[in-house]
Amino acid sequence: MFLAPAAIIMAIALLYPLGYMVWGSFRDWNPSQTIGEAEFVGLRNYIFLWNDPNFRESLGVTLKFAFFVVTLEMVIGVGLALLLDRNIRGMSVLRTLFILPMMIAPVVVGLMWRYMYHPTLGTFNQFLDSVGLPRVDWLGDHALMSVIIADIWQWTPFIFILTLAALQSLPRSALEAARIDGATPWQQIWHIKLPLMMPVLIVTCLLRLIDAFKVLEVILVMTEGGPGLSTEILALRISRTATEFRELGVAAAMSNYLLMLLMLLTLAMFAYTRIQEMRAARLRAQIEEEG
Amino acid sequence: MNKSFKATCAGLALSALMAGGALANPYEEYAGTTLIVNFPAHPHYNAAIKVLPEFTKQTGIEVEVDQLPYLKMRERQTLELAQEEGEYDLISYVVFSKADYVFADQLENLAKYFMNPKLADPNYDAGDLIDGYVENIGVAGGFKGYLPGPTGSLFGIPFGSETSVLAYRKDIFEKHDIPAPETYDQLLDAACKIPEVEPGMGGMASRAASGHQASHAFLLHLAPLGGRVFDDQWNPIINNDAGVQAANALKTIVDCGPEGAMSFGPAEAANAFANGDAAMFLDSIAFMPGFENPERSKVVGKVGYAMHPKGVRRGSQTGGFGIAIPKNAENKEAAFLLMQWLTSKEGDLMVAMQGGNPSRFSTYQNAELNEKYPFSATFGEALKYADPDWRPIIPVWGKINADIGTTMSKVLTEDLDIQDALNGVAERTQAVMEEAGYYTWK
Repeated sequence: MFLAPAAIIMAIALLYPLGYMVWGSFRDWNPSQTIGEAEFVGLRNYIFLWNDPNFRESLGVTLKFAFFVVTLEMVIGVGLALLLDRNIRGMSVLRTLFILPMMIAPVVVGLMWRYMYHPTLGTFNQFLDSVGLPRVDWLGDHALMSVIIADIWQWTPFIFILTLAALQSLPRSALEAARIDGATPWQQIWHIKLPLMMPVLIVTCLLRLIDAFKVLEVILVMTEGGPGLSTEILALRISRTATEFRELGVAAAMSNYLLMLLMLLTLAMFAYTRIQEMRAARLRAQIEEEG
Repeated sequence: MNKSFKATCAGLALSALMAGGALANPYEEYAGTTLIVNFPAHPHYNAAIKVLPEFTKQTGIEVEVDQLPYLKMRERQTLELAQEEGEYDLISYVVFSKADYVFADQLENLAKYFMNPKLADPNYDAGDLIDGYVENIGVAGGFKGYLPGPTGSLFGIPFGSETSVLAYRKDIFEKHDIPAPETYDQLLDAACKIPEVEPGMGGMASRAASGHQASHAFLLHLAPLGGRVFDDQWNPIINNDAGVQAANALKTIVDCGPEGAMSFGPAEAANAFANGDAAMFLDSIAFMPGFENPERSKVVGKVGYAMHPKGVRRGSQTGGFGIAIPKNAENKEAAFLLMQWLTSKEGDLMVAMQGGNPSRFSTYQNAELNEKYPFSATFGEALKYADPDWRPIIPVWGKINADIGTTMSKVLTEDLDIQDALNGVAERTQAVMEEAGYYTWK
């Protein structure tokens, strides 16, 4: 009962903007109108998007981008966490340095990578020149790969830091027992550490996935969505539709498609998390019993 | 009449004189006001920001600048102008935003300010403002909605307006006995000959990045080659022979251009020229002062400036920025005073001397400016051919512009057939225009 006012305020704060966006998506709404003035058009914006090849292309780019960044960041981030989970001299400094990229503003990251990819003055092509290899048109022929690399650089530390925290909270006795029993480091990772950490890893993966679907500034600064539409992810198309095309209703409908997609992914991953949590709980109980 | 009465009369007369004196200074009523202005990160506005302290010194009006990248500026303005009370007293807007903002009734009509004797400077000399810029940037509602005409009104003043000229490497052209291009044929010949005779150097650096930049680059060639996006009945004609020629010209330029040309925005293209990676640069005058700055350019003293080459006609671009007062501004009259001061003869020259783009004929004729920036004379000449109709400025232009830009980028990077690509643009443009109601009255 005491919690009711806070709960109501929270519900309004969360649901009102969401409802506003959903309501706007059913209207022919532009920035010079209030939402009430805009004509109600039913599902027209959703149907238009369904048939819009540019929207489909942007959706495809978004899925590709999200798949590659999340997969690669998970592999590298978890790998590094496993590697650096030990007490050796200078490790705390190394860990601090490693998480620096995610503290930098996305616009700065975009600008920095854009200049590093510069065809003649950029670091990468100057390096290729120095070792006698041909230059690469990073933001032309390989634009999507180039923005994926920049994202991996910035956000792998996020995976690393959460995974490391999870690793350090594992029951040391279990790992010690496994080591005494003769388990190799690889067996310890595969049979004990990863299964125990799996709920944390899934949530981490989900957070990155949601973020990857919404990334905007880095890509806007690096490629402006091009060449063609090859790096125009959905968030960029939504932003353009709202500001350049001044079609707020269509932009809202696009946002809702993105929201539905993310909700489906989230539900699927939560279901998987539940299964993994049960497995981890069984494993913990087994370890405690044997210990 | 006793002494005290005389003293009282004298005091009243003095007060009246002082009051009269106070009224004679149009700024005094607004002294102490702080204006918030939204300017883009752009060479012209960097120059303008340098002279703002002089405005404050002369008027007592303080100015705070919110400076944003020019494409982000539009995003911010879209949100800000829709509020009941906006944060900005004066905004700079990219020319293609003019129609959107006027259509949405978000800008003040300037007539009432220029009619107000307390605010309008009698020495302003509006006739000295460059006509093409005023038509392109300031007027809305006339012929086609974006050109002057019997139904047009003034909503903004050009400030940071631009036209296109050709910058070329005099030393390279002389070395290989290549004439400075006066026609499109010569331009395209030179663009592909340079990489052959100067290995490692591109012919011409051009914008080509997807979206607005590629569209801008295409339209830059469309007007001089005789094309338009629409005919007089709003039918898309972008896919006619002139359109195909313009797209071919852009493709030739990018194919023979410096490395990475396909992803160049204007800054990258200008940097490539300033760095000696390209022999020509055909774009806005805003970038030219940078080529003569030894801190930013490796080609100082080696650059010749020529008119935008002629195709079937001359048609250099008009574009850049104007300044306007939002309808939801808090300090509209003080904002008008700043607008008027910045675009006065004195203000225009001050900004130009800092590297900005003049908006007045008299500034281009100023001897001091011509001595400091030798290319100014060419710019003044180019303005005679500045084409205010080189691209349509209608409320649905944002969508059409994005489509042209994306399609051009695909032509450049994915080798789409040019005629097919332009036919697609024309078809989609027709649908956009139809939906917007342009054919309702047929």
